[in-house]
Amino acid sequence: MVKIMPKGSVLVVGGGIAGVQAALDLANSGFLVHLVERTAAIGGKMSQLDKTFPTNDCSACILSPKLVECGRHFNINLLTLSDLIALEGEPGSFKAIVRRRPRYIDPGKCIACGLCAEKCPKKVSNDYNMGIGERKAAYLSYPQAVPLKYALDPDHCIWINKPGRCGICAKVCPAGAINFDDTVKEHVLEVGSVVLALGFSRFDPSSLDFTGYGRLPNVVTSMEFERLLSPSGPCMGHLERPSDHREPKRIAWLQCVGSRDINRVGHPYCSSICCMFALKQAVIAKEHAHGEFESSIFFIDMRTHGKGFENYYNRAKKDGVHFHRARVHSVIPADDSGNLQLRYVDEQGKVMFAEFDMVVLSTGLQVYRHTVELAEMLGLELDADNFIKTDSFNPVVTSRPGVYVCGAASEPKDIPQSVMEASAAAAEAGLIMAPARWTETSKKVYPAEMNIHAQAPRIGVFVCHCGINISSVVDVEAVAAHAKNMDGVVFSQCNLFTCSQDTINQMVSIIKEQGLNRVVVASCSPRTHEPLFQETLRDAGLNKFLFEMANIRDQDSWVHQNEPEKATAKAKDLVAMAVARVRGEVALPYNTVPVTKSALVIGGGVSGMTAALSMADQSYPVTLIEQSECLGGNGRKVYRNWKGDKFLPFINELTARVTSHPQISVKYNTEITEVAGSVGKFITTFSDGHSFEHGVAVIAVGGQAYKPDDECQFLHGIDPRVQTLLELDQRFMEEDATLKEVKQAVFIHCIGSRIPERPYCSRVCCTHAIDSAVKLKELNPDMDIYMLYRDIRTYGQRERLYQEARAKGIIFIRYDLDHRPHVSEKDGRLLIHAHDPIIDANISIHPDLLVLATAILPREQTGSISKFFKCAVDSQGFLLEAHMKLRPVDFATEGVFLAGLCHYPKPIEEAIAQAKAAAARAAIILAYDAVPAESVTAMVTPAKCTGCGVCVEVCAYHAVALDENGISVVTTSMCKGCGACVAGCRSDAVTLKNIGNEQIMAAVDAAFY
Amino acid sequence: MTETTNWEPKIIAFLCNWCSYAGADLAGVSRFQYPPNIRIVRVPCSGRVSENMIMSALKSGADGILVSGCHPGDCHYISGNYFARRRFALLSNLLDFIGIESGRVNFSWVSASEGEQFAEVVQSVTERVKALGPATRLVKKIDALETELLIA
Amino acid sequence: MPTINKRISEEIRAQARKLLEEGEVAAVLGYGAGSLPMTVKPLVVRNPEDCSKLIWNTFCVLNLANYLPAALKSVEPPRGPRDPKPEGPLPKVAILVTGCWSRNIVVQIQEHQVARDRVVVMGVGSRGMVSRRKVAALFPGLEILAVKEGDHELVVQGADFAETINRWSVVRDNCQSCTHPDPVLVDVRIGEPVSERKNPNPFMQVDAIEQKTGDERWAWFTAEFATCIRCYACRNACPLCYCPTCFVDDAKPQWVGKSLDAVDTGLFHILRAYHCAGRCTDCGTCETVCPMGINMRMLTKKLNKDVLNLYNIEAGMEPDAPLPLTTYTMDDPEKFIATEVTPVPGAVKEGK
Repeated sequence: MVKIMPKGSVLVVGGGIAGVQAALDLANSGFLVHLVERTAAIGGKMSQLDKTFPTNDCSACILSPKLVECGRHFNINLLTLSDLIALEGEPGSFKAIVRRRPRYIDPGKCIACGLCAEKCPKKVSNDYNMGIGERKAAYLSYPQAVPLKYALDPDHCIWINKPGRCGICAKVCPAGAINFDDTVKEHVLEVGSVVLALGFSRFDPSSLDFTGYGRLPNVVTSMEFERLLSPSGPCMGHLERPSDHREPKRIAWLQCVGSRDINRVGHPYCSSICCMFALKQAVIAKEHAHGEFESSIFFIDMRTHGKGFENYYNRAKKDGVHFHRARVHSVIPADDSGNLQLRYVDEQGKVMFAEFDMVVLSTGLQVYRHTVELAEMLGLELDADNFIKTDSFNPVVTSRPGVYVCGAASEPKDIPQSVMEASAAAAEAGLIMAPARWTETSKKVYPAEMNIHAQAPRIGVFVCHCGINISSVVDVEAVAAHAKNMDGVVFSQCNLFTCSQDTINQMVSIIKEQGLNRVVVASCSPRTHEPLFQETLRDAGLNKFLFEMANIRDQDSWVHQNEPEKATAKAKDLVAMAVARVRGEVALPYNTVPVTKSALVIGGGVSGMTAALSMADQSYPVTLIEQSECLGGNGRKVYRNWKGDKFLPFINELTARVTSHPQISVKYNTEITEVAGSVGKFITTFSDGHSFEHGVAVIAVGGQAYKPDDECQFLHGIDPRVQTLLELDQRFMEEDATLKEVKQAVFIHCIGSRIPERPYCSRVCCTHAIDSAVKLKELNPDMDIYMLYRDIRTYGQRERLYQEARAKGIIFIRYDLDHRPHVSEKDGRLLIHAHDPIIDANISIHPDLLVLATAILPREQTGSISKFFKCAVDSQGFLLEAHMKLRPVDFATEGVFLAGLCHYPKPIEEAIAQAKAAAARAAIILAYDAVPAESVTAMVTPAKCTGCGVCVEVCAYHAVALDENGISVVTTSMCKGCGACVAGCRSDAVTLKNIGNEQIMAAVDAAFY
Repeated sequence: MTETTNWEPKIIAFLCNWCSYAGADLAGVSRFQYPPNIRIVRVPCSGRVSENMIMSALKSGADGILVSGCHPGDCHYISGNYFARRRFALLSNLLDFIGIESGRVNFSWVSASEGEQFAEVVQSVTERVKALGPATRLVKKIDALETELLIA
Repeated sequence: MPTINKRISEEIRAQARKLLEEGEVAAVLGYGAGSLPMTVKPLVVRNPEDCSKLIWNTFCVLNLANYLPAALKSVEPPRGPRDPKPEGPLPKVAILVTGCWSRNIVVQIQEHQVARDRVVVMGVGSRGMVSRRKVAALFPGLEILAVKEGDHELVVQGADFAETINRWSVVRDNCQSCTHPDPVLVDVRIGEPVSERKNPNPFMQVDAIEQKTGDERWAWFTAEFATCIRCYACRNACPLCYCPTCFVDDAKPQWVGKSLDAVDTGLFHILRAYHCAGRCTDCGTCETVCPMGINMRMLTKKLNKDVLNLYNIEAGMEPDAPLPLTTYTMDDPEKFIATEVTPVPGAVKEGK
């Protein structure tokens, strides 16, 4: 094959969170991205959510900055209302044809004033609100839409269907943006690779008569309910039921509507996310409710298998959410009031009735019809459920080389998993195009910065409603009015969403028009939104450090929900404090640090090796350290995955690739003794005394199996017939012939998981246990196998395995924490006592094999490694990512990434995806010659310096030294801006730029005006 | 004494950006409710907080002070909170020695994942300060007078 | 037989003369006679013939370490701030010290204010210095014209009286509670070494205040500092206070108001004391020089007590050791972290 120079641009299809993440990762690592979105705006399903589990983050709030970044990105070409219609060529050099449907409103001219929509006479059902309420034929998808441009709906616009009949929008548009003659355009794009992020649709329950959906107005789907909860939804976040706009007091959630249902729906798989979705809705609905509120969830198994999920479940139970393990037989009207009666059979087989004000159907996920069509056009293989087929060990790779898939188009999955896959797909796509990095991109040029040195402060204050997140508690208008009187403030106003594209654009023009030289935004946390607003300042020609935020949401309206007056007073103080602080701020230089283009990977398991290979294949040198004498980690102990693919051949191949890779150097029996430096240049010292300089690090130190020996009740380590899943796997691998002779086997689930001292689900053990049971059945079809479980959590398509197990006659018996199985030995035989809740009777089993599905724990050294890199650890000892939803492989510490079991228990395909994602995120830094460094650094006033050296002693970064005259000097490039020297200095000779004593005390004093 | 019946203390909280400020954000995200008396000042590190800042805040009229940083060992800047711990231990003892009521100046460690703990800390500090009543010791009278005028 | 201090004075003069004559030092920092009874003044001697002016007596209460950096500067060849450092070794200065002042020099070395190799330490074991104020208090309304010093008694003389008093009874509080009277740095030994003093409780006065209730302590504090006239004599006499701009003089931000308001005065003393934390050797000069008789030493003594109890450090004992506030241990006491938060069950215990 002739090596051709690949293209330096890439096609990403789908503008949901996965597509947006893939586009950002690729654009930030040096490729031009064409992002194709079918609808008029990017944002996808996540934009429709009210809150996200398990942190209850406001979905729009965390998504919006990403969308805005995507919309403003210099190297992302956003193609909305567009479809990929043809793709030819080969990896590295594809020719894609994208058909762009007419918007009929010129985005270059539209100022998003909304007059067209206001005057448009044609009302259309509002698809963003799931058909609840109406919008116009001239419309904006949703308030924070990116791009923030209106469109005409060609199916409903009167003029488009009958030219000459209406045209009011064209008359009222002040920008002359309406263009009825807009036509379909086809773009031919030459790209190196293609990432598909096609998303999912929700199952339509109209066909399920028993639910009453479509007939009974108060039966809604979970997405519809989400819109009812949302402050940007049809009832402005004041929960009302559709029939009579009354506030519902009793709501039932019906799980698995359109999932785990072969008979009526033909969807054998589990949709993975609906259990958490329902839990979240039950919790949030209760928060919305005024007074009494009752929520009930009807479920088969409660599947809370993700990080932080089990805790959320426990909290919901504590908060009074009722759980019924039952499938509902029918939903019928209770009376004429709109109330609903549910008929179901409880666990003991009794027929029960219950009345509710409202019923929410947790509808399952499925692929879009057009996904299937697109897959056919592209020649991609689909699996039995029509999801795009991927390989166990290559989770984002499709059957067509150069075409990658991420997100729920390949299997139902939640946001963090989709985001990880998006980054992983970016890594794969980038691999092909690595030689062409930076060849097709262009660089953002900011306007020259205004010199404000001699100017008196002219401060602008922007106060955010955040939908109703702030304004429902804090009187934001009063806060803005109050700000007008503050010293130096020349402008203040309120905004519905300050982070939305239109407000951002407006802010730029206000800064220019008003000649502002400092800006305060009173909204949410600077930890999430400061970068966005700082960039806005730069766009307006202001130095980005002339900015402060007042956190009147996370630290005010959200925590004083019942004290609006005091919260408003507090907001005024917080704004006054921010104004006082910004008043004393000055423009700072944008410092950078050169990047050492090499990586350190810690841990030689599957995740570590995958990450190392992914970076090394992009020709970055990688040092991989492993604490043992061999590579492979936990993967070597596992027999096969749920699809039947054996681990060992894969791991051997992976190990061989790693050890023979010219860019990877492997250090065995090695641990870390010291880490110095930070992103761009870390210097890590190993236990052999050598040190290594690297720009980034990936932590993949894995996990370890829980040892049940301490809990003697299971006789593990005492009776040889009692084994863990991994010990059984060992026997499978050794092809132990004695296994065929086992007559009766018992598996006990959740050993060490989901208990008060370890309140998390280990995610993989249900699937692993069932697969092992199936394997035993393969060896001896006559074997009796009992599974003692709490909830079966074969999420996603793993559900098929559960069905297969039951079909093979494996018997599942549920237990709960009050009736835990008891294991003993009697007359040389194992004896297990358990309680069967269906027949409500105690049972005894005498197995000749007892298998324990034990928990996965973080390794003991995780904590010490996290300390070396200043990373956080969660309450269970797993590494804590920067953000649970949207930054699943990053740490708050820049330049350090995580993958695999050290993050949370996960199966191999997820670990591989996460490792590739970590590599992609790391490669973004390695793609640059220099990365931004701290601008907020310490500074010495020599005339005040005594040369006492306290600053030198307390600096953890060796950034301060005494010069030959005995006066302190700061090496700016080494300073991290912690301010220890400032606090230690008795003579106030050291200050921290813009966080000096002067600014801080001005803020403190402002609180007492 | 009309002003004491409606009196609400103002508590200045110096929170480190990486742990306690993030913990305060998490309290918000989780909707843990706490009394609205604190005014948070974001600083990079608890090691950035000096005795001068604390005393000056008292002088300006703070009824209570809270300084909160990362747990020992978790400092984003490696050792800032260790130095802070020594400084605050001595300051706290000295203030007690001169008769500043215990509970006026408070210190805590709250991590980024401890939203609920943050709310609890604020709750308990606020209760303590409320029980002590308005700060009078080391409050510059002129400020107190102004405040009274404002209340009236 | 001449008194101990007479013999010491002789020895000082002889050693000083020798050092100057041999060119070992360019100046000797010692004491000369004061103009009033029971006073001395610091004296810099540069010529061997002036050494006879040096004295040593029980009223040597000014801390000479306070003048050391300036004395060192004064013997350097003059140069501007941007001029290069002169080549070769700089001239030395000899200084007369007792236990606490030698420890101040150690702190000055730790804080880079003094180079060890430029100082010749003439060490005298301290027998405790007498408080003028205590003596005067014994003779209310009477003017003391002269005090004659014996080893263990003082003869106090006025116009029409002469009375013998016990010397130890009028020794300064800080000297009475001192445990390290002998210098920790000695280049030239003067007189006999004095052994470490076993003091059952050097912090007795602090303990007495600690035992009061909070309100009583506040009453003590406000009363004690109420008379301060902000003359800054305490600050100026202290070898630890060498900042070019003191925090009280800062304007941005203004940490402490410049008025005689009780709050401003209180803050000045609290913060000044705090700035001495872990550095103060309890030399007592601040109190000695105070024209209003304020016992501001109680604040620094309290800090000394805590630094010793919490971190097992006494200021200025070892030149190579870090100062207590520029170091830490992982398990420093943190009882003051009083947030009353119960740990989450199952919370991770991280390895240290």
